[in-house]
Amino acid sequence: MQYELRTQVIDPPRKTFDHLVRRYGDRPASRYEEGTIDIQAKENFHYRPLWDPAHDIYDEAYSAFRLTDPYSFTDPRQYYYAPYVTSRAAMADAVAATLDYLDSRDLLSRLPDAWSSVMGELLVPLRHYESGAQMVSCDIARFGFGTTITQCAAYAAFDRIGNAQALSRVGIALGGGTAELLADAKTRWVEDASLQGLRRYVEELFLEKDWGRALVRLDVADRLVYGLFFAHLDDAAIDQGAGSYSLVAQHLSSWFADQRKWVEALYKAWVTDPGTGAANTQLLAVTTTEALAAALVALGPVAARADELVGAAAAASLDATATTIRDAVAALTA
Amino acid sequence: MKQRYEALTRDLDWEPSYVAKSDVFPHTEFEGIKIHDWSKWEDPFRLTVDAYTKYQAEKDKRLYAVLDGFAQSQGHLTLTEASYLNAMKLFLQGVTPLEYQAHRNFAYLARHLNGPGPRFAALCQSIDEMRHTQTEIHTLSNYNKYYGGFHNYLEQHDRVWYLSVPKSFFDDALTAGPFEFLIAIGFSFEYLLTNLLFVPFMSGASFNGDLPTMTFGFSAQSDESRHMTLGLEAIKFLLEQDEANVPIVQAWIDKWFWRGYRVTALVAQMLDYMLPRKVMSWKEAFELYFEEQMLGGLFQDLAFYGITPPKHVDDAIAEKEILSHQVYWTLYQFSHAAAFTTTFPDADAQTWLAENYPGTFDKLYKPLWDKEARNLENGGRHFVRGLPQLCQVCQIPMLFTEPDDPTTLCQRESVHNGEKFQTCSNGCQWIFEREPEKYVQAWLPVHQIYQGNCGGPTVPDVLAWYGIQEGDGGEYKGSVDDTNWKSWHNAADHSHIGSEA
Repeated sequence: MQYELRTQVIDPPRKTFDHLVRRYGDRPASRYEEGTIDIQAKENFHYRPLWDPAHDIYDEAYSAFRLTDPYSFTDPRQYYYAPYVTSRAAMADAVAATLDYLDSRDLLSRLPDAWSSVMGELLVPLRHYESGAQMVSCDIARFGFGTTITQCAAYAAFDRIGNAQALSRVGIALGGGTAELLADAKTRWVEDASLQGLRRYVEELFLEKDWGRALVRLDVADRLVYGLFFAHLDDAAIDQGAGSYSLVAQHLSSWFADQRKWVEALYKAWVTDPGTGAANTQLLAVTTTEALAAALVALGPVAARADELVGAAAAASLDATATTIRDAVAALTA
Repeated sequence: MKQRYEALTRDLDWEPSYVAKSDVFPHTEFEGIKIHDWSKWEDPFRLTVDAYTKYQAEKDKRLYAVLDGFAQSQGHLTLTEASYLNAMKLFLQGVTPLEYQAHRNFAYLARHLNGPGPRFAALCQSIDEMRHTQTEIHTLSNYNKYYGGFHNYLEQHDRVWYLSVPKSFFDDALTAGPFEFLIAIGFSFEYLLTNLLFVPFMSGASFNGDLPTMTFGFSAQSDESRHMTLGLEAIKFLLEQDEANVPIVQAWIDKWFWRGYRVTALVAQMLDYMLPRKVMSWKEAFELYFEEQMLGGLFQDLAFYGITPPKHVDDAIAEKEILSHQVYWTLYQFSHAAAFTTTFPDADAQTWLAENYPGTFDKLYKPLWDKEARNLENGGRHFVRGLPQLCQVCQIPMLFTEPDDPTTLCQRESVHNGEKFQTCSNGCQWIFEREPEKYVQAWLPVHQIYQGNCGGPTVPDVLAWYGIQEGDGGEYKGSVDDTNWKSWHNAADHSHIGSEA
């Protein structure tokens, strides 16, 4: 039994906006669709950029990667601003809870020395890697073509600064509540031999003008970095009694799983595009292969240093991730 | 707190050594701005990502609850009148796409400014602007289901004659360098003119029963106050870094004041003519928000740096009692080619106008409406069938008058590479002649129609290309919105109203 509430009902003459009806037919649209699809201006730009008169304000020629219809890609997570910040607020709460717990049980200072060194020497300096990734993602957010793509990139940029801040907090906690370890980590990022390859990789990425290639090059490095630090070393830490490393790693690992959802979906849209798919596939294969070679050079010394510290077969794990990436490329072009 | 914030955010930066710094930041030198120490940029908010996401998620939860409740309860029927929504049509068509443009270009600043403090502030603003784009769309989406004029706003922003005013304004800013953009949007748009450009729509909403838009306005307030602070911080930073920056910044203030002020012409007529329940007159808003707060306050502070009030500000002051009347009179006659409706100001409205514009309304504009009243009696509502000439810079039809004579049309002509270009005012002419290579590129809707780029040679061809449907434009009285509004309200006997199963 339910009671009958009488409400005024008016049949709305329209279900949604014209551009969505043209694309999806006459049906109500979701908030993701209304807030995302076709939002980027399409035509009749008034002026050319002073800093790049060869291009329009929004121009597909900013990348060699093309989609016949840029909105053939949509974010599988359907993030518009509200669900995005809601999801990140929950992630931030989880990180804070972990840090509080580590702090209340004084767990970081009870880490085995070698793992404490992994965190101080290698993990905390990654905050600079994240900061670099933020800049690369911002470039994609500006120069990418189509709001479905640039929206993902803008949120990713914000995520990266969030990751950098979370790693900074770990550094502060590890440093007994002071910022000393952060200063130390910055010196390491700029000077330690083991980190110079990665720093170089990021700096060279800043010069990549093609946003699609920048996205792939960042993703390749990300897969190696996250595979190493937040999957492989996470397992090793648990095996070696350094559970608090894992407590930290879980958050970055679950963020990265979320991040890769949209990147993979974009790759899929690129390679399956009926018009540009073949060219995109070639580009994706070549870019990934080149980036992988460079990223392995960059990360080899990081893995080697991790192995020196904790003997965790990190170098072998890097090779395993590389094989997975190579296989994926081979499958693309098969 | 400050130390912690700096450790978390600012100290993330490092000096590149494998590539040249000038290659990492290739856009921050060509404008001639000299920055000696990026760390002097103060970020007064010191937000961290976790604090930001929690606060914003909470705000959005409340906002969307209001939107859902309003939609479910047919809240649109509690507006003062359906004609109020003309203001919101203008907002969705003209302003929301600008929020999106801001989102994209603050992402550009978040990449291309050399300092980590301003980059992070710009990134926060970038995603805030995405929030505003989407919350505005979601707020107005419910009205689109019941009323005309909203349904094709994106395509119209790219195509329609009066919308090239805001579009060209923002395109101008996006195609400038990063520092000019900061002054154009961060300072001039978000600080200097925000109370004239943005706030009147939100206040109009609150006076006319538009709970969702008003709630959106309140919900955006804390974001906007961060953006205003960023704009003010940006200008102070540039001025303090090097004396040679002062004349460059002054010229940008001069340009962007006038450029933004011309966009407010659309807001002025909205305040004085489109709102069934008035908030305040344009003149009063201009005096309070611009003359008193900006000229009397802000520019007194900026004088310390050697900054003077914007060039041509006197021309703006001189037209505060005529601006809205001239613009609405023009839109009234061209609204058959617009995605909003206009109507004859009734006796009450004219009384209000005469009271608020004692020096000008009865003398200059009432006679026009009296003549139109006679046309209406004879069944001949007036529409102009020709196409107006547009100003090469602001793209508003050439409707403005000489600064000292409200009865003589103002027309300025400049010659560039042997070709003649028309502008509407001293301000627009000065802007044109400063950067003619930029403004000759303008996509002027009327020129484009004549060149056959807008769907065809006839008015119906062009309107079809604009995606304008029956009831979107023209006269409000008897329009689809007016008719529906009345039938929905006359359904008091519930004969047309069903009940939810």
